[in-house]
Amino acid sequence: MTARVDSPIPIPHRLETVRAYKSRGGRIAAVLPIHYPRALLRAFDILPVELWGPPQVDATRGSAHLQPYVCSIVRNALAYLLSGGLDLADLIVVPHTCDSLQGFASILIDFIHPTQPVLWIYLPRGNHAGNVAFLADEFRALYRRLAEITNRAPSDAELLESNRREESADARLADLHRQRGALPPTVVEFYRLVRSREYLPAETFIEIAERVGGLSTLPPRGSAHDRLPLGKIPLLLSGIIPEPMGIFDALDRLNAVVVADDFAGCGRRLYPPGKSDDPFERMAERILAAPPDSTRGSAIQERLQHLLRLAQTSGAKGIVFYDVKFCEPELFYLPALRKGLQDAGIPSLVIEIDLSDPLSQQVLTRLEAFLEMIA
Amino acid sequence: MTVDICALGIDVGSTTVKIVGVDAAGNLAWHFLDQAGPRVEDQVDEFLARARQAAGKPDNLPLVATGYGRGLVHQATRKVTEITCHARGIYREFQHGGTLVDIGGQDSKVIGIGPKGDVVDFAMNDKCAAGTGRFLENSARHLRVPLERIGSVALSTTEEVVISSTCTVFAESEIISLIAHGVAVEPILRGLHRSLIKRIVAMVRTVGLVSPLMLSGGVAQNPAICRMLEEETESKVILPREPQLMGAHGAALMALGMGWSVLTPASGET
Amino acid sequence: MSAADSLRFYAGVNLGCAALRLNRWRAERTAPRRQSEYLAPPLKISPRTKELIARHYLEGRYANGHRKVAWVASGAPVELLKALDFYVLYPENHAALCGTARAVEEIATEAEHAGYSRDICSYARTDLGAMLSGKTPVGRLPKPDLLLACTNICQTVLFWYRVLAHHFDVPLIVIDTPFIYTEATDHAAEYVKRQMEESIPIAEKVAGKKLDERRLKETTRLSKMASQLWLEIMERGRHRPAPISVFDQFIQMAPIVEMRGDAFTVDFYAAMLKEVEGRIARGIGAVKNEKKRLLWDNLPIWYRLRYLGEFLGARGVAIVASTYTNAWGELAPMIDPEHPMESGARTYLHPILNRGTGYKLATMKRMVVDYGLDGAILHNDRSCKPYSVGQIDQRDRLLREHHVPALLLEADHNDPRAFSEEQAANRLEAFVEMLGV
Repeated sequence: MTARVDSPIPIPHRLETVRAYKSRGGRIAAVLPIHYPRALLRAFDILPVELWGPPQVDATRGSAHLQPYVCSIVRNALAYLLSGGLDLADLIVVPHTCDSLQGFASILIDFIHPTQPVLWIYLPRGNHAGNVAFLADEFRALYRRLAEITNRAPSDAELLESNRREESADARLADLHRQRGALPPTVVEFYRLVRSREYLPAETFIEIAERVGGLSTLPPRGSAHDRLPLGKIPLLLSGIIPEPMGIFDALDRLNAVVVADDFAGCGRRLYPPGKSDDPFERMAERILAAPPDSTRGSAIQERLQHLLRLAQTSGAKGIVFYDVKFCEPELFYLPALRKGLQDAGIPSLVIEIDLSDPLSQQVLTRLEAFLEMIA
Repeated sequence: MTVDICALGIDVGSTTVKIVGVDAAGNLAWHFLDQAGPRVEDQVDEFLARARQAAGKPDNLPLVATGYGRGLVHQATRKVTEITCHARGIYREFQHGGTLVDIGGQDSKVIGIGPKGDVVDFAMNDKCAAGTGRFLENSARHLRVPLERIGSVALSTTEEVVISSTCTVFAESEIISLIAHGVAVEPILRGLHRSLIKRIVAMVRTVGLVSPLMLSGGVAQNPAICRMLEEETESKVILPREPQLMGAHGAALMALGMGWSVLTPASGET
Repeated sequence: MSAADSLRFYAGVNLGCAALRLNRWRAERTAPRRQSEYLAPPLKISPRTKELIARHYLEGRYANGHRKVAWVASGAPVELLKALDFYVLYPENHAALCGTARAVEEIATEAEHAGYSRDICSYARTDLGAMLSGKTPVGRLPKPDLLLACTNICQTVLFWYRVLAHHFDVPLIVIDTPFIYTEATDHAAEYVKRQMEESIPIAEKVAGKKLDERRLKETTRLSKMASQLWLEIMERGRHRPAPISVFDQFIQMAPIVEMRGDAFTVDFYAAMLKEVEGRIARGIGAVKNEKKRLLWDNLPIWYRLRYLGEFLGARGVAIVASTYTNAWGELAPMIDPEHPMESGARTYLHPILNRGTGYKLATMKRMVVDYGLDGAILHNDRSCKPYSVGQIDQRDRLLREHHVPALLLEADHNDPRAFSEEQAANRLEAFVEMLGV
């Protein structure tokens, strides 16, 4: 992710951020998708750096351990690890997001034995009264393991402070999403910015987000709907993560603009502030109150209502489900969601990609045909 | 003797390239077709030269390009996907909506067309040869049956062998094994056609079948395809006069300015 | 619940059961039509197995309106619902039945045509296809009044049941069982117990009655007894020759999965154990000329059981143990009928599918030693990521570290379109040669 020379928003690269953090004595955690407690890691002076692929790595080494029907997010992560890509990481954190990540963490622990410790977090599914308590306990267990690894023991006050900082960063992130139509960057720059939350320390992200937010041509409480770019076809994008990022250039060339997003890595991680005074409960509350997500097994109606609301408030004329191939959580929901959307007059398109392949002609043709259809 | 050509549409497919000229009323006035050459730009230049000669006009006529290779046609005023162009072309011919099945050499698609000719939904099989003309081509080669006869040979028997392989390449080993076991060519061919049709029908069901079912593309001329599609969908299948030219005709209509209103002015070319 | 529905239930079921009893009586007195050259005939109890399964679906056919119906995932704590008199249906069992009946392609395509990708579990596609079209080889499936899913076998089951809940518009109870990478934590067990407790009022509301504590203990006790008997039956496979093969087990496991908690299931497995011991006494082996003994890992290939049994049997190879069938017996010691909720929470956390890849390997290794096995076939099941992910490393280790020949066999448990007979036969042939038969 490079920052353009003439871009108004210089964003530090992933690698330079990692090096700078380490040189100040901090540690790095390579974190797999999707939901995890940033505040907890930062309280131990560990910077979480998320691993979404990365795209376009040679997946061969991953294929030596994982079957072809395991998605490319997981397969690429393994390939990257095995070819030294995570050598700067001091630990690896794997949230239990799906059966594939379950298997990934398990084979790391049981067979691959990376030099870094592998830590897991189980995320509760379903709507149970005991969810917050359980997740808080998972975080306490994680705390104990982090304490062993780092020889630190942050106090509750320190944990709450760390959490406050993350809540502040997430508030800025939510602002950016709301203001997206009125911000100076192009769509691809917007995503580079919001995705920098995947690795930037919260305080750095807050600084950049405030600078960019100040450039908005909208009054603070305005919505992007007020500034729908004329003549461009407004779309809502949904999926796990916007990779390949080439989709944004393609949409730009095809005269479309992304006005809202429902990516598991982006829009579905707009965590609201917590309520509890107990830091672990507060961290748990935030994640459990995130928008409906297929990987957390939300009810279909909840997902549908969420998409309809998003489409309505953003003025999107169509939805593109931009999914990584083999993603079972996503695939189970699609038919019912598409039917519900269709009944509400919102057409949708499904595209499945592999992180290691550039966007194919076939995919571009489908996008083009879809836009011709809804224009 | 020159032909009245006012606009051109070119469909650059992976196996064949087709060009259509329409008159002022949008009727198909002239066409030309050839195997796809290695250099698209040169081939398009040749095609355009032919068109100018046929029309007796030295100037450039408005041209819309569609098909797999449309991105390389720099001579075109606009590039439009084969989905939209096929829908335009078929609607021009039949003047009603329905479900269009287009089976090409290297891809296949199903397009739901509304009563006013608009594209309502579409599905494309462009990842897997098993749903395309290539599947039959390969098989024909293996069974040593001329490609233009595989349909009639398949229909010459009522016996049918089930081909279970999902993959074209594995289907080849299945065919070899069947022949080794003494199974006749005709039931194998019939089974292969059935296999292809089943994939097509899956796409039809995804888009939703709205009668009538219309068939286009090179493979449309295969009588077994038509018959089996009717069997599997229990719906009548109708063919346009020139099944292979639907995309190019639709593109020509767009060049002429018909059915153009739905597309916004271009702000960036592919 | 209407009187007419109840009448229909009694009439239909009684008449049907009478017919089924007659069929069984006849079948018990006729020699099997197909006598295999290489394999022992099916167990004498098999007509009874068929009768139980058929009776189960027969009751289902008339259940709506007479009994409350629950659709349940195979690893779920079903004892709660049985104690509340629910008629319990297992979509996974029904799907497997469609697999053996070669009906999957037709039924799954209904789901695929509705937009469900072929990349999702073939059990789910079969079930959703049956839900959408009503097609089933068992006559008619009852609609659910309640759904119960448990994530101890996979996460897929959760998404699948969300779809069912959306379609049928009935309550869905999710028992979320945290995955055990190394050991189960106390807070995980507490979490599961709490969910089970919270599910009781929901189930009671649908059932229209209160849960009787004694009834629950009794049902749990019967579950434990049946599971223990099943475990003993499987352990008899240690004998040479093994009296039954896993192919027998795949068929005979139906009652332990779908009728666990009933008294007749205990009697059934007690009778089966007796018959199996009888075979041992007479030296009868499942494979007549047993030369090599193998382990089967992962789900069965439902639509090719006979083919695989015959193929291997003809070469003197018997598959005598399986991590899959073992799953329904190995946790029997954990069940404590006096503390059904507490022990239930622990038990339902510990199925092999809820445990790490290392534990799965350790299980395979232990079974190789316990049963005196010569090798293992790991079914690389495209539809089952929790079971299949890790197999490449497991196979590698079996081979290199434990010197156990192991074959990775690519297929799918229910979808015949993902199975290539040519390729599979080739690999099995080569593997058998490698075993030195």
